[in-house]
Amino acid sequence: MTERILEDKGLVIRHSVLELFEHWAIALSGIILILTGIFEMPIARRYYINELPGLAWSADFIISMKIHYLASVVFVAVGLFHIIHHGILGDRGMIPRKGDVRQSIDVIKTFFGKGEEPPFHKYLPEQRLAYAAMAVIIGVLIVSGLMKTYKNLIDPQMSEGLTILATWTHNIFFVLFIFAFIGHMVAIILKPNRPMVRGIFTGRVRLDYAKHRHPLWIAEIMESQAAVAEAIKEEEPVEEITQEDTEIAEDMEQTEDPEEEESQ
Amino acid sequence: MGFEQVPKITRRSFLQVSAGLTVAGLGIPRVAHARQPRGMASIIDLTLCDGCPGKEIPACVAACRNLYQKTVPDPVDPIPKLLPRGKIEDWSKKKHVYDRLTPYNFIFVEKAEVEYQGKKYTLHIPRRCMHCDNPACATICPFAANHKMKNGAVVINDNLCVGGAKCRTVCPWAIPQRQSGVGPYLYFAPTLAGNGVMFKCHLCYDLLREDKTPVCMEACPTGAMIIGERDEILADALGRAVHINGFIYGKDENGGTSTFYVSPVPFDIIDKAISHGAGLPHFKPAKRRMAEASALETWVMASPFIGIAAGVAGAFSILSKRKSGKGGNE
Repeated sequence: MTERILEDKGLVIRHSVLELFEHWAIALSGIILILTGIFEMPIARRYYINELPGLAWSADFIISMKIHYLASVVFVAVGLFHIIHHGILGDRGMIPRKGDVRQSIDVIKTFFGKGEEPPFHKYLPEQRLAYAAMAVIIGVLIVSGLMKTYKNLIDPQMSEGLTILATWTHNIFFVLFIFAFIGHMVAIILKPNRPMVRGIFTGRVRLDYAKHRHPLWIAEIMESQAAVAEAIKEEEPVEEITQEDTEIAEDMEQTEDPEEEESQ
Repeated sequence: MGFEQVPKITRRSFLQVSAGLTVAGLGIPRVAHARQPRGMASIIDLTLCDGCPGKEIPACVAACRNLYQKTVPDPVDPIPKLLPRGKIEDWSKKKHVYDRLTPYNFIFVEKAEVEYQGKKYTLHIPRRCMHCDNPACATICPFAANHKMKNGAVVINDNLCVGGAKCRTVCPWAIPQRQSGVGPYLYFAPTLAGNGVMFKCHLCYDLLREDKTPVCMEACPTGAMIIGERDEILADALGRAVHINGFIYGKDENGGTSTFYVSPVPFDIIDKAISHGAGLPHFKPAKRRMAEASALETWVMASPFIGIAAGVAGAFSILSKRKSGKGGNE
């Protein structure tokens, strides 16, 4: 169990090392993919980007493409790992729940001083919705990108319709990915969300923040910790009574009897 | 990569090569994994092209211009300026130019006076798109406006092209030519993005679909240009080269093309004799730069399987630890 309250440190473990790795592998490779994807448009020279220090390569489409491929190996492998790994383990914390849309609207209203936030689970309802949206966008980017790569590597004469479909799908979802990335950045700038930022760097958030804003999550952790403790208690080994024990007991009885007699 | 001098192949080895080509196509490249190219290919036999003496414009060039010049639209007036920088390319007032590639001229014939092994040659060389087997111009087009068709032609879709000229940048011969002020970019932000449409030879794609011959070849009075099934045409080109103790260009250049020049003179000598510059393709060796990315492309194709395998292995490892009561921290 990764999630754990560290009372002495005043922290709660929110993400495992593996989850942090998954997030940052997708984030960093995703940023490289956005940049090199933009450089696949003929804009670097036109907009003087290639004249910026260290960006001379941006006007070379084949270098950009190689970097794009390199980043996509990480992006695709970790994306698939994430879905399969957490799917098998049954991790459902980020899957949208019924009522998330309405709740998200209410939460967004609170950012503008209207109403009060409801108590949250580990993730906010809009985080669950954003995760689902991002997962769909990344999934479509992966499938369409793989189709394009297949054409480039194996079948340059792939049907024109399929090529146009893969390319334009990739382009449209590329734009959506940029919007989703900007939305993600805006979300962490919002003051109420800022305490969560340290969680994605260190895996831990402040306990007082979590108790205040994510009481349902803290309750789940405490319940889980209590259940684990109970299970451990129940599983404490009961010593079996062996023949030897019986003999010892009989000996003790025999030695006790005279004492009793003496005392009497 | 040097030019292929076919004469060094003996008659016997040539027959072996031809048989191999016929049976196994062009073989499996060691690095690239592209399927065997399909469709048509063409021969341009420099021993047969005479430049159409007595005609102001060679027959092939005239036929192409007659059919296709009117299909290239005239630009809007004025053509939008480009911000922050970029060069407008307007050939609409120079449609008469036929001695180089332009958006309104997809083929031209260049004359070269050369000497080889003490013999002088006057060569007339039709130049147009080579229709590469795995063309970088199509691979890198961000809008899929350029495509290698199943019949072998590499065709630009002028409804999708916005004239960014990436195709010309990555083409070893800089074949596609831009006409600014035309095409779909005009409907968006023409001063900020796009710059017209790229035009080039499309091997009379529509005629090929109807089993007809491209007009340049149909018009050629000497039969210097022919088209046919790729394997047969390649075998024919190799046979012609063996017969004249000559040379082939286009078989291996840029990873292989669908155009095979046959010449009695090495192409590096021809290259020195022809003009160079915009719209004037060279005859130098042409490396396929996209081949450098083949290993990475293979890794990209493998990456989903790597991710799935790692995900399954990791999850079951945790599940087994949980089952055995050893925790299973994620």
